[in-house]
Amino acid sequence: MNFKLWVKPFENLAKKDRFTISILWVAMVLAYWLITTAGEKKFFPTPLQVWQGFAALYSEGLVVHIGSSLWLCLQATVISIVVSLVIAYSYPIPLLRPLSRAMSQLRYLPLTGITFYLTILVTNARTMQVWVLVIFMSLYFITSLLAVIKDIPQEEIDHARSLKCNRWEILWEVIVKGRFDYVIDVLRQNLAITWMMLVTVESILVAAGGLGVLIKNSDKFMNHGRIFALQIVILLVGLSIDYTLNTTRKSLFRYSKFN
Amino acid sequence: MNIQYEEKDIILQVENLSISYGEKVIIRDVNFIERNVVRKEINQGQVVAVLGRSGRGKSTLFRALTGLVKPSSGKVLIPDYSQAPSNGMQPAKEVEEGDVGFVDQKYTLFRHKTIYDSLTFALRKSGEKGSEKKEKVMKYLIEWGLEKVKDQYPNELSGGQRQRVAIIEQLLSSGHYMVLDEPFSGLDIGNIQNARQSFKLIENGHDLNTIIFSTHDIELATELADSIYVMGYPRLDDGSLGTVGTIVRHFDLKALGIAWRTEFTQDHLELVKEIKSAMLAS
Repeated sequence: MNFKLWVKPFENLAKKDRFTISILWVAMVLAYWLITTAGEKKFFPTPLQVWQGFAALYSEGLVVHIGSSLWLCLQATVISIVVSLVIAYSYPIPLLRPLSRAMSQLRYLPLTGITFYLTILVTNARTMQVWVLVIFMSLYFITSLLAVIKDIPQEEIDHARSLKCNRWEILWEVIVKGRFDYVIDVLRQNLAITWMMLVTVESILVAAGGLGVLIKNSDKFMNHGRIFALQIVILLVGLSIDYTLNTTRKSLFRYSKFN
Repeated sequence: MNIQYEEKDIILQVENLSISYGEKVIIRDVNFIERNVVRKEINQGQVVAVLGRSGRGKSTLFRALTGLVKPSSGKVLIPDYSQAPSNGMQPAKEVEEGDVGFVDQKYTLFRHKTIYDSLTFALRKSGEKGSEKKEKVMKYLIEWGLEKVKDQYPNELSGGQRQRVAIIEQLLSSGHYMVLDEPFSGLDIGNIQNARQSFKLIENGHDLNTIIFSTHDIELATELADSIYVMGYPRLDDGSLGTVGTIVRHFDLKALGIAWRTEFTQDHLELVKEIKSAMLAS
């Protein structure tokens, strides 16, 4: 192994070298964790505390809470996708363009202000959770979808026009069907933000459970082991969703070669 | 020995065509006429090359020829074959989107359709039955050497294959007219040879088939075209160079006896020199 190449900018390393570097980093992180938690005073919980926290969470129904969080996310995602797609696909229609632009700009509104008005409109706390997520997610989703639509080269529109497509056919073929794989990718990017929002949103209704509620409860009792274990669980579930969506996109759309 | 030919009806007439984008005039007063060329014992289509330095309005002219941009003034006329001839003349119509096929420099195709699906889509308004469409598409795929890639997507094809698919798609959809914007740019020598064969296939496919293309390869243009237009900035009265593109020269290779020759000759070379000087002067 030529270690000099490891620090040479833009160097393409062999697979074996890349694997060794990854292992090295994991080992360094673990070593740092073990060393910094070995003494009296410690910033992080020890691996044993995290393991105990994980075991306690499991016995308290961690799987059910994960299910609750995923269900909340799924409900919000489905509604958000439908709303966002309708608004984003209306962008090429001149009359509706200001609407889609305005919806994208609304992402700068603070969430607290939105929840204030939602509490007036919605009485059920679970519905409230769903709609806070829907609004938050949709505004970002619309922004990303508009970027995808604006990036479509004029050549693709002209190509469809030269094949006698009327304007609605162009919308359908070039924008809707032609960029459907991008919708999944946009969803993937935005789900990461939504997943991060869980803690805040799930704290609205503690009785409904969820990973956010577990974190909040652990936080209250300063149970570091549990908090750390939960962070790992949330990260792993999030990464699994990300992987599933990316794999789904690649397997459903063979022509989708980005990323 | 000059090749015998006859010129029949007008197949393309560009009349006082001007195009502006806002205040900016891109091309002005473009005029030309192309006629149906007929040769004995051979289907002879028309191949028209448009040459000129960058920024002289070739692509804008092409967008107007294909109906993708509305002229600020003037018109582009083609025969209206949906109407019966009157007084032995085919009535003319203004070109509309879809009347003239257009293949851009990137050989744009639908990214989400396989080659077979793309070609079938191009035939959706033909009024033919499903089995007839399938037969027609397969005939083209075999003839153009694409049957093995029929189930692939555009991003799985080579540049040459993409270009051939883009040409067939337009042939199936638009009929006799085809505009190709720099069809040889970015192709290697083998693919250029394939593109030349594609030209031959179109040219000899039907009397009315008409290819209009642009290129920076002047030698190639003199070999392939039977009519060459040079677009440039005209000289103004005070001797200075204008800033709006128009046709500055026309070379009729048929009349010059150069068209349809199988080899590049001294005559071609002389013509190349003349075209180059016309381009540099405009």
